[in-house]
Parts: sequence; C-alpha cells; structure tokens
Amino acid sequence: MTVKDVAMKRRWGMAIDLDKCIGCGQCAVACSQENNMPIFEDDSDVPKRVAFLELMKVTNDRDAKFPDVRTAFIPKMCQMCEGNDPANPDPPCVSVCPVVATDVGDDGVVSQIWSRCIGCRYCQAACPYEARVFNWWKPRYEGSFKNSLNSDVSISSRGTIVKCTFCSHRWKQARDKAVAEGNLDINAPVYKTACQTACPVGAIVFGDLDEAGSELSKLVASDNAVRLTNSIDDLPEDKQKAFLKVKQFPNPKVYYLTSQSWLRDMMRFKKNS
Amino acid sequence: MIQNIIQFIKSIFTDASKNMRITLYILLGLTALFGIFAVQILGWGLGYTDMDNNFAWGAWIIGDLVLVALGGGAFTTGYLLYIFRVDKLKPIINSTVLLGFLCYLFTFVFLLFDLGQPIRAWFGFAYPNWGTGVYPVSMLTEVFFCLSLYFCILVVELIPTILEHKVLIQNKIIKAIAHYMHLLMWTMAAAGTFLSFFHQASLGGGMWGALYGKAVWYSPYFFYLAVVAAIAGGTSFMVMVPYIAGKLMKKEYVPMETYQTLTRVSGMVFIGYLSFRLFDIYKAITHYAPMSGREYFDMWGGYYGVWMLATELILCVVAIVLLNPAKLRNQEKFMVIGASSAIGAIVMSKLSVLLHGFSAPNFPWKGFTSYWPTIQEWFITLGALSIMVLVYMAFVKWFPLFPHVEEHDEHH
Repeated sequence: MTVKDVAMKRRWGMAIDLDKCIGCGQCAVACSQENNMPIFEDDSDVPKRVAFLELMKVTNDRDAKFPDVRTAFIPKMCQMCEGNDPANPDPPCVSVCPVVATDVGDDGVVSQIWSRCIGCRYCQAACPYEARVFNWWKPRYEGSFKNSLNSDVSISSRGTIVKCTFCSHRWKQARDKAVAEGNLDINAPVYKTACQTACPVGAIVFGDLDEAGSELSKLVASDNAVRLTNSIDDLPEDKQKAFLKVKQFPNPKVYYLTSQSWLRDMMRFKKNS
Repeated sequence: MIQNIIQFIKSIFTDASKNMRITLYILLGLTALFGIFAVQILGWGLGYTDMDNNFAWGAWIIGDLVLVALGGGAFTTGYLLYIFRVDKLKPIINSTVLLGFLCYLFTFVFLLFDLGQPIRAWFGFAYPNWGTGVYPVSMLTEVFFCLSLYFCILVVELIPTILEHKVLIQNKIIKAIAHYMHLLMWTMAAAGTFLSFFHQASLGGGMWGALYGKAVWYSPYFFYLAVVAAIAGGTSFMVMVPYIAGKLMKKEYVPMETYQTLTRVSGMVFIGYLSFRLFDIYKAITHYAPMSGREYFDMWGGYYGVWMLATELILCVVAIVLLNPAKLRNQEKFMVIGASSAIGAIVMSKLSVLLHGFSAPNFPWKGFTSYWPTIQEWFITLGALSIMVLVYMAFVKWFPLFPHVEEHDEHH
C-alpha cells in the first residue's frame, strides 16, 4: 500500500457523560499541563485566563434548598463545529480568520497556528462556545513549571489566540509510531486525549464518530445525547432540513450525555427568561 | 533655524485667544497621554485593557466602526461633486477629503492597537484568507485590502489641498500638478466610491452578519445596511465638522446652501436606512433569532438593553423629520439638531452592535456581561480623537481647506 491510496476516514468527536462527572477538575488540570498553558501567580482573573478546558458549574435554581437543588459540571472545550455539511466542514471561526491561522482538517479537527495568528480575535467573536482563548499577557511559567513543559506542543506568544485541538499532537505521535512499525494506513492509529486519560470515572469518551459499532457512535446515537445550545437538534426532521437550507448551524462534534431533564433544559435558551 | 521654529511655535500660543490656548493645551495633553499609553499597550500587550475572552473587542473597535461609517461621507460627497456635478458641494470638498483621510488613518491606528501582534499586521496582505472565489472568504481580508486601497485614494485626493498652500502654489510646476490633479479627481472619486461600497459593507456590517454561530449578530442584510448607514450618517458628519469649526472661528467657512444640500441627501437616505433597519429587525425577530433558538428581545439586557435600540430608532426619526422638509431644513437650528441626531443614530447603532453583541450570554446559565474601558483604552481613544482635531485645526489655519473663504476675502 502506498500513502497515495489512503483516504482519511477519521472524524474525531467526543461524548461526555455528565451523569458520571463528579466535577473533580482533573480534565482541566491535565489539559492545561498537556498543552503548556501559562501559569500566573494570580490566575483569579477568570475572563482573561488561558485554559482550553473550562469546567462550568450549572445548578437548576440558585435559590433552591436541599433536597431540590441539583448541580452538574460541564467540561467545555472546543466543540469542533462542522457546520451543516460534515463532508465540507465550515466552523464559524475558520472562515472569518483574515490570515488563515485557523483551519479545519480532513479529520474534522479545528486547528490553530499560533505563529501565524495576528491576534485580531475575530474568531473569538465568532465562536458561540467561548472556546477560544487569547494570550492577554505574555505566557509565563512560574518556578519549576518550566521543567514540566510538553515538548510536543509549541508555546504561544503574547497576543495570539490558542485553542483546544483534541490533543492532535498525540495523534501525530501515534501515527509516527505506526509508520515506524511499517503501518502506513493513516486510519489505523487511534489515540486518547489528555482530558480523557485523566478522567477518574471514565466520563469522557473520545473517538471516531463515523466508526460503526464503536462505543462513541453508540453513545452519540442514544437518547441521552445532547449538544450544547445547538437548538436545531430539537426540531422535527422536516423543519431541520428546511432550516439547514436557509442558514449554517454550528453542529458541534462534542456530545453531552445526561438522563436528567433539568440539565437538558439548561442547555437550551428558554423563552422569555 | 531652530530659533525660528521655537519662535513660530511660541507665536501659535501667544497669538491665540485665551479659550483657544486652553483648548490647545487640553488637546496636546491628551496627545501626550496617547503617546505614553501607546507605548504601554504596544510594548506590554492587551492585558491592560478591559477586554477579555468573552468581551473580545472594545473601545477601539467602536472607534473603528464609527470612524469608518462617518468617514463614509467623504466618498458620498466626492461622488456627488465629481460624478453628479453637484457644484454646490465645491466649498466643502477639501474639508470632506481631510475628514475622510483622518477617519481612515485613525481606523488603521485603532486596528493596529487592537491586534495582539501588531508587528504581524502585514500577514493580512501576505496570507489573505481569500479562498477560491472572487470575493474573499474572510470579511477582515476584504477590510485589509479595501481599506488600504481607499486610504491611498484619500491621500491622492488630499494632495492638491496641500499643494495649493499659498507658498507652494507659487511654483509653476506645483501649480500645474495641482491643476491637473483637480481635473482628474473624478477618477479617484469613482474608484473611491466603488471601494467604499465594499469595505463599508464588510467592516460596518458583513463582519458581524457573517457570524452564523452568534444569534445576536447573524443577519444576511447587515452587509448592505452598513453601506446605507455610512451614506446617511457620513453626509451629516461632513456638515457638522466644518459647521462647528466655523462657529468657533466666527467665520462662514461654507455657505449654508452647501450644508443644506448635504443634509438633504442625509435626510433622504435616512428614510431608506430606517425602513431597511426596521425590516432587518423584523426579520431578526421573526426568523433569524428563533432559528438559533433565541428570542430577539431576550438577547437585549444588562446595561446594554433595548434602550439602545430605541434611542437609535428615535434619533433616526428625528433626523428624518428635521432634514427632509425644506421648511425645517432651511432653518439653521433644525438643520443642526437634525444632522446631530443623524450622527447620533449611526454612533448608537455601532455602539449597540458591539456592546450589546458581546454582552449577550452564549450559555443559558450565564448572565449579561459588561465592559468599561481602562484608562489606557480611554486615553488612546481620546488622544487619537484630539490628534484628529489638532490636524484639522492646523489645516484650517494654514492650508486652503475652504478655498471659498479665501476667494471671498480676495474679492473684498
């Protein structure tokens, strides 16, 4: 087999079981460490913090008392939107970049070239999931943190946008390994993201959405699966088709699983709230 | 030589009236602060601003939107004068070109401050996101190219005003160049109008309308609406600046009928703008917001509530009512109120695009956010505006910005 014959079949996606998630934050820590997120002495300025994975706490009602109060944690990273047509992905953030610093690969992962980015933040304005972060300050690594930097991820400079890439450098490692073993099929290697490996309860499942019979494709097809604020999912099929003709929708590739109806409601904008 | 320069600078202050001296000190002070904070922002980054990962843009983008929309009066006036031969506009054209030049120059300055990596600004030309079609994929790529080209045109349009300086014009060659540049100016006006349609549309509207993931902004009409807004508001802006300058200097720089011609255009276009805007809002309420699972009026809230929309529409109505009937427009006070409301309506619409757009929550469990510029942002914005005022004042004083007045003086 030559490399030419190989067509990319992967379409990476993720399912996160919110019923399993205990909100420990291991995923966020692992992500920050894996991707060389800067560490400042005072990181309490949350809106300016540089982190790919945000653990968002959601409650049903702020004033509710025990036993009516419900809480859930939503780990939110880049949702890897693909637009209306999976075969021809068009995430909201990619087409807006004036310098082609961000692109969507044939594996469906939205990438970001940090050294190309001019820091205009147009993609940040375009992102409906607040998944893109900006280096408002020069990235810094206090004390011995410098020694634990990951050499597979380049450190970004001040004034550039950075984002979650589904740890695609890990996929690169897996591919390199496969090639070294003589396997040139690009669809053969699989990998695990940092947040997935760190999760102590196995709430995060990562894989290929198109792979029939895989754990991920089963989870995504289940009734518990829901996508963040992607309102078009709730519509009957004929209406969906009509809407998709008129306008693009984000259609993210990250699914959240929950059996709790209040949490499902929480992920949609309520009318007249 | 140096002593002459010092003497000259001293004379500017000693010759000026007391009020003018105070004004000059304030403007120069703001300019100095602009310089100081510019070093801080360019050297140490955007951390010193109140922008954050949620509120990605702030004061400077508001400045850009407002300056480009109001600077749009330059292409409209140029087009009317050079292509439609509305000769009544002749007394105001030099001032209009200068204002257009300043507006666009400082749009570049603001954009540069807003870039996290200003040194990489040239990437916009070197690696444009053009795609495969004729029209670029990214609205900002379009802005990069159109804005730069149009700025070059404004520079060419401004050159005759500088060449006609009373010392320079005595040189025969310079006089000939200025003369022929005037004759060929219609080509520039035509090209400028052509380009303006694109960047006005992309920076003013298309840039926001294209964001399909954001229900607050998405609108297929915003692209076209912005062009109408620029013509409507820009013409009034081009009236108000020389009018205020004339009032301050107690001189009639531009005859009233020139002002009335331009405000008449502004008033007429405002009828189109308001109807188009109402249609845009109607479509957003009935179609585009519900498609994204949102209620249009639920998205207005927090500090930047529906009052912004209401103010914008009221100002539009005031401009239409005062600028359209000749009976009202011909009275100076109504013309001034009308033109000011016209400018206000455009400024308000740009403010609400940005402030309301970014403050609306992206997740159902989040609230409205707010933004207040830091001193760095304030002084860079105000400093830039004072540099604009200073340059305009300098042109009024030393260059034939209002040739009509000089001809008038010569006749006496």
